[in-house]
Amino acid sequence: MAIRIGIGLSTENDTLQAAQAAVRQARANIAAEKIDLAIVFSSIEFAHPSFLKTITSLLGQVTIVGCTGLGIISNEGIFKHGLVIMLLSLPEGVYFNTACVKDISAKSTASAGKELGEKLLYGFKNIRRDLSVIFSDGLLRDESGLLYGLQQRLGMSFPLAGASASDNLAFKKTYLYFNGEILSDAACGLLWGGKLNFGLGIKHGWRPLGKPRYVTKSSGNIVYEIDDVPAATIYKEYFASDLTKLRKELKRISILYPIGIYLAGEEEYLLRNILSIEDNGALVFQSDVPEGSPVRLMIGTKESCLAATSQAIDEVKNGLRGRTSDFVFIFDSASRYILLGRHANKELEIIKERLGKDTPIIGIYTYGEQAPLKSVNYQGRAYFHNQTIAILGMGA
Amino acid sequence: MGEYLINILGMASLLAVIALGIVLTYKMELIRQLQATVNNLKRSLDEMDEQSRLIVRTDMELNKTQEELDKKIAGLYALQRLSRAISTTLEESQIFKMIEATYLEELGFEKGCAFLWSETEKKFLLQMNIGYLEDEAEAIESSLDLNKDNYLELIKSERTLSSISKPMDTSLKEKIKQFFKVESFIISSILPKEGNKGFLFMGTQHLDTLINEGDEELITILANQLGQALENARLFEKTWRTQLDLEKKVEERTRDLTRVLNEVKNISNRKTDFVSSVSHELRTPLTSIKGYASILLTGKLGNLPPEIKDRLDKINRHSDELVHLVNDLLDIARIESGRVVMKREPLDLKSVVEKVVDLLSVQLKEKQVRLSSSIPEDANTIFADRSQIERVFINLIGNAIKFTPQKGKITIHTHKAQNGVQVDISDTGCGIPEEALEKIFEEFYRVDNLINQEAKGTGLGLTLVKHIVEAHNGKIWLKSKLNAGSTFSFTIPQPP
Repeated sequence: MAIRIGIGLSTENDTLQAAQAAVRQARANIAAEKIDLAIVFSSIEFAHPSFLKTITSLLGQVTIVGCTGLGIISNEGIFKHGLVIMLLSLPEGVYFNTACVKDISAKSTASAGKELGEKLLYGFKNIRRDLSVIFSDGLLRDESGLLYGLQQRLGMSFPLAGASASDNLAFKKTYLYFNGEILSDAACGLLWGGKLNFGLGIKHGWRPLGKPRYVTKSSGNIVYEIDDVPAATIYKEYFASDLTKLRKELKRISILYPIGIYLAGEEEYLLRNILSIEDNGALVFQSDVPEGSPVRLMIGTKESCLAATSQAIDEVKNGLRGRTSDFVFIFDSASRYILLGRHANKELEIIKERLGKDTPIIGIYTYGEQAPLKSVNYQGRAYFHNQTIAILGMGA
Repeated sequence: MGEYLINILGMASLLAVIALGIVLTYKMELIRQLQATVNNLKRSLDEMDEQSRLIVRTDMELNKTQEELDKKIAGLYALQRLSRAISTTLEESQIFKMIEATYLEELGFEKGCAFLWSETEKKFLLQMNIGYLEDEAEAIESSLDLNKDNYLELIKSERTLSSISKPMDTSLKEKIKQFFKVESFIISSILPKEGNKGFLFMGTQHLDTLINEGDEELITILANQLGQALENARLFEKTWRTQLDLEKKVEERTRDLTRVLNEVKNISNRKTDFVSSVSHELRTPLTSIKGYASILLTGKLGNLPPEIKDRLDKINRHSDELVHLVNDLLDIARIESGRVVMKREPLDLKSVVEKVVDLLSVQLKEKQVRLSSSIPEDANTIFADRSQIERVFINLIGNAIKFTPQKGKITIHTHKAQNGVQVDISDTGCGIPEEALEKIFEEFYRVDNLINQEAKGTGLGLTLVKHIVEAHNGKIWLKSKLNAGSTFSFTIPQPP
């Protein structure tokens, strides 16, 4: 028995009208009475409690998980303003549990991750655990810590896919949807178990450029020195620029030319976006960059970006081993939306063409993606990525 | 033996030292070569890095250009759609509502507002607000109040100002940034030809949004469009009001005219009734006067002396004239009131004319007037009341004879016209003065000339003719020049 899916989308300006329209459409599209779960993605302006109230008033007390993003993705296209809701009706033998951890900044990220893991595991005894899907505030400073804490509870090699919420590139506030609540400084997740198949692919398409360098001094997500000089020097040299100019163009530089960490045995470098530049020339990244890491400046093009999408789909197909998926999650980096510009739709076209145009698709543009590394060296451990497209196909 | 051994050992160690030296030299050479290779590699790596820098910078430029291009294309699309929406709006209050947040975003801004200066209230009135909370918008409004002279001057200058325009009063620039809470902005005047003028503001908080001259142009175009649209809407409103006023006036005038017309109709009816009844009342005594005069003239009541007979003849003749006049009056009244029904039938014009000419042959002979007629076949049959049409011809030909001098000429000509047959009766008579042309068909009107002073007439003949022709849905008119003859023309329908 397959998972039954109904997707609804609305781009109306009025929050309530949009929520009603999307729920009605999703309800009409699902061939089931019983609804177990609602996944909700929206652009930032919909992040209002009345929005979730409207959904529960129409659907009853249903479990809601989701987040905000720069844009939403569904079979109908990519929309910068709008909301998409996916209703799931699970067959017998497929289970899930949801959990959420709040006020992360008041704790250590690792302990918040552990808390989330414990809550997810609650009531999951004697059931085969398959996969975890998590959503986190995209402006958290140490996503890797959160991931590490979670893995300490779920298992270091436990399959995991995740999305860091985003806003309209203002980097002011991102939100998570969890049941009736709209949360920042939080993370929530789903733990899936039972008779479930899935395939997960993650790729970015950026290529290394210039001389290999080493991180000579770093702590967590702050890199102080690369090749024994202040870390920002690498960007100063490449762009023939000073700190003020760099800061002004930081968003563009960070997206187009991130730092790549070389991981032995991996096909692609692990990318890291810069959040800010300190006065002493230290670079603050969205996630950790360990001391001693070999790093390169990275460059991407529209073509390499779209080729990576295709490769990610290959990975999804490998994971599914010939079985079909009932629906597809897309966690697509906001950077890719910016790099692809008017061609962002091409990415969706590739996915629809390769995974079947009728397969329900729901996606969100993110400030970070979580997925396992592939080579045996890393034993399937999930890492925090930037600039990637993570595609997760699931089926029962 | 021992010495020999030492020698051999010495030789051997010497050889070993030599060999070691050779190997060392060889190794040194190898190390030198390796060092050179490493240096080469290092150099190429540095060169490669140098090239990478060029690549990255070029790539960055390319991406920026692409971004700008994308933005421009999106902006142009937005402007096009927005223009269409604005230009089709004819209601002033709706124009600014057409500007939605999505258009703004496509133009590269997230904040926008528009103000119009109200001459009556002496303040700027907010027309549109995108991206500001209500209290923020109020704060902006009050800041405009404080610096209204600056903004009014700005509007007056008809210029587009932005955070990048030079030269510009930097203090005003900073004020705008501060009050409107933006990093970059464009302000452009909205200038309808009449009524309240104002300005359009668009801005963004994002530090990395680059505004350039192209953006200024787009916003200027949009502001111009808004001005044009306001002008159109105001003009439409004005035209619409004028039209309403006009319609009202026309309605009033029509009502007045209808009332007057009804009055005139009533008066005319009363006149017709009056003429009709008076004529009737006159006929009875006239008949008896004429009857008694006739009896007396027969001499049955005894012979009369010639003086009395002469007077009686006059009574009889004048009575006849009076009867004639009364009959004409009665006919006119009957036709006017619609009491006479025209018994229409197909008629042969030639025979009608012949009959009339026959009737008038005495007068024609007396004056030796030549009468010719040309009535072609296609203009011969008419659809009319025989006796009435005969009266028309009798009157018109009779008049022609009357006003044509001895040996004059009268021609009757007919031809097919748009609404039937047109009959022209021309004479070589004295003609009619221009001032009399219009009045000639009026009742009791007589042209003031010698002939009329001598000949008798009622002044009713042409009036009757006009009434008869019009009762047949025809028209009558004349062309004439003093001393150059007259042509009376009338149309009469042909059989259906």
